[in-house]
This record gives sequence, C-alpha cells and structure tokens, in this order.
Amino acid sequence: MVNSLIGIHAITGILAIFTFLLVFIELLSPTEKTIKRIQVFAYIGTILIFVSWIIGGYYYVAHYGPDVKPAIKEGSNPWVHSIIMETKEHIFLFLPFLAILVTGMIFRFNIDLLKNHKTKSSVLILSALIILIGLVIAGMGYLVSAGARVAGVG
Amino acid sequence: MKLNIKSLNYSTILTICLIVVLTILGELSEFFKTFLTSITGHHWVTKGVFSLIFFVIIYFLTSKIVKDGDDLTRQIIYTIIATILGAIIIFEFYLWHFVS
Repeated sequence: MVNSLIGIHAITGILAIFTFLLVFIELLSPTEKTIKRIQVFAYIGTILIFVSWIIGGYYYVAHYGPDVKPAIKEGSNPWVHSIIMETKEHIFLFLPFLAILVTGMIFRFNIDLLKNHKTKSSVLILSALIILIGLVIAGMGYLVSAGARVAGVG
Repeated sequence: MKLNIKSLNYSTILTICLIVVLTILGELSEFFKTFLTSITGHHWVTKGVFSLIFFVIIYFLTSKIVKDGDDLTRQIIYTIIATILGAIIIFEFYLWHFVS
C-alpha cells in the first residue's frame, strides 16, 4: 500500500512533466487544429500535478514523516532529508501555480497563440520551466528513495 | 468569465514569494512552525493550503485593479526570475541550515 502510494505519486508526477513536454512540442508550430489538443494537454497536466500533490502529501504526512524521515536522519546520509527532501517538498509547491498560469494563458489566448508570438514564447518558456523543475524534483525523489533504502526503510 | 492573465501572473509571483517566506520563517522560528502545524496538523500542509487560498485571493483582488493586456513578456520574465530565485533560496537555505 505504502509503496503503491509512492509509485502513484511518481507516475502522476512524471506524466505531468510529459504532458507539459507535449504542450511545449505542440506549441513550437501550432495550428488551429492543435490548439485544442494543447489545451487538453495543459489541463490534464495541471490535474496530474494536483493529484501528485495530494497523493505525495498524504504519503509524506502519514508514512514518510513518522517512519522514513527519522531513519534517514539517524542514518549515514542525513543530508538526504535535511537538504534534498526539504528542498523538494517546498519547491514542488511552485508547480501547481505555474501550471495554472500556463493553462490559463493557453485557454485565454486560444487561437491568438498562432499570431501572438510574444505570448506563444512566454507559454513555451513557462512550460520549459515546469518541465525543468519537474525533472529536478523527480531526480530529488530518486535520491530520497535511495537514501531510504540505504537507511533500511525503503 | 474572461481570465485576467496579468493578475494570474501577479498572484503566481506573490504566491511563490509567500512559499519562500513561510518555508524560511517556519525553520527559523519554532513558534511560527508550531502555529503552522496547529492549523492543519502539519506545517507543510498548512503552507500548501495557505498558498492556494492566497493565490485565489490575490487573483480576485488584483483582477479588479489590473488591466489585462496582450503583451505579457515583462510579467513572464518576473515570474521566471521569482521561480528560479525562489528555488535557489530554498535550496541554499536548507544547505546552510544543515551545514551550520
């Protein structure tokens, strides 16, 4: 049960990164047909970030805090929690708001994204930022899982 | 209802600033961390709930005074700077906190 929570948290997070990657790729050369698809990807990506937030948050409060965190902090690599996990859990909080902003821009400008190149570039850069932060957070998650295994609780 | 993207942008920037401030204050002041914990049972959950509520409130407040426009380049640059700086500040803070 606990392992499946981490799995769902990680999978939804990675799928969210992937959907914003699709937003980025489709936006490089958008057409009237692909704008609808871009909106759907952005909408799904935002929902996936919220799902990942809720599931990861439940796991963090119910299992990680009481069981995993003390073992990592008492083990040979306490920095895994004190630096990596603390940074990860707080930087993650940026993502839902960035995702809402990107999705809001895509819906608000809609077909205008085809001719408004400044706005299109802004959405592209913000999508790239979400992908970049998402990948950094995924890497940090991998480090925390490795740290938990080393501490004998993973 | 038409979304006001400039307001959405301002609320994103201010929410990121709030997350950074709550994170650092929570670590520096035990009293503040206890206060955050007392609201939802966990300080991190409270930070998330506060951020969501703050984001919505700032959006509705600013959308009444900020006129939306098509050129958002400058605002988006501010958002990117706030995000990257916020992430670096949080990482550096926890690094410093651990080392010291």
